[in-house]
Amino acid sequence: MILMSVIRGVKEFTGLDDAQLMIEVQQGSPVAFRVLVERYKKKAYYLALKLVGNPDDAYDLSQEAFIRVYNARKRYDSTHPFYAWFYTILRNLARNHLQKRSVRLEYAVRMSRIRKKNPKVSASPECIMQADEAKRAVWGALEKLQYEQREIIVLRHFEDMSYQEIADFLGIAVGSVMSRLYYARRKLRDLLGEEYGR
Amino acid sequence: MEDEKIQELMMKVVDGVASPEEEAALADAIKGSERYEGELRAFKKIREVTANMQFKELPDSYWTGYWRDVYRRTERAIAWIALSIGLMVVLGFMAYTGLSRFYSDPNVSMVLKIGVSAAVLGAVIMIGSITRERLFARKHERYEKEVER
Repeated sequence: MILMSVIRGVKEFTGLDDAQLMIEVQQGSPVAFRVLVERYKKKAYYLALKLVGNPDDAYDLSQEAFIRVYNARKRYDSTHPFYAWFYTILRNLARNHLQKRSVRLEYAVRMSRIRKKNPKVSASPECIMQADEAKRAVWGALEKLQYEQREIIVLRHFEDMSYQEIADFLGIAVGSVMSRLYYARRKLRDLLGEEYGR
Repeated sequence: MEDEKIQELMMKVVDGVASPEEEAALADAIKGSERYEGELRAFKKIREVTANMQFKELPDSYWTGYWRDVYRRTERAIAWIALSIGLMVVLGFMAYTGLSRFYSDPNVSMVLKIGVSAAVLGAVIMIGSITRERLFARKHERYEKEVER
């Protein structure tokens, strides 16, 4: 009986758009929240994966972002797009995670000098994609970029967002998007070395 | 043409969103510039490689259990907050009752009362200081790194 009502509830909410679902979530509907999670779970996971480069961390961060959405549901303004708001939460989590990871990595590097081990925090490209040598090299270089540079490449190259969409997402001007993209690509080329004309 | 304009046009060409006129303008502007021609080649090559990157699908079991995990974690987060608030209220009340009895007891010496007062004051200042530092760090560390140019 309960199961049937949940299934009926899910079906009822599936037709609603994101803002309408969030209004339902604000009014305390867990079913609406579930529909929202089901709608964006894959997108959130793959975006997190491209930002942090590790499947386990991406899975965890994407779930954490949904939990933060639920906890902050009262602050959501339904006149703004839900996904942009969700992305702000996810990117802050990803950035904090990478900062903590770099601190952990520095510590691991220091310890590895003592233990003579090779520290590795990110997953190998083979774990997350079908990788040949060129893809491995580009992915490796991408992981060395600063967060903002990596993010702009991810949004343009992998999420295929337009300059305007990126500008809206990041809250910066279109000109700044193009400028940031140029410097990120240049840094990427520098990291890739001779084969890319450097 | 200014560098900034060249870079913008280059981005448009690399991303395949430049008009034929813009493409011609860029070709004209960077003709003979080893730096820009090299960058354009490299950027196009990087774009080509990333366009072919296919990320591996997670097993279905991850997706079927996804909502359950989110629900469980949300539930636990709420439970944890409620538990923390409850514990703080109970411990606060116990501390208040204990200290009230302690201070109103005429058999306890004044020296001991002053010593306990100093220790309590020290603990309160310490907790306040640590909390302030944590909040400050959370607010500022997140945004301290700027884009490297």
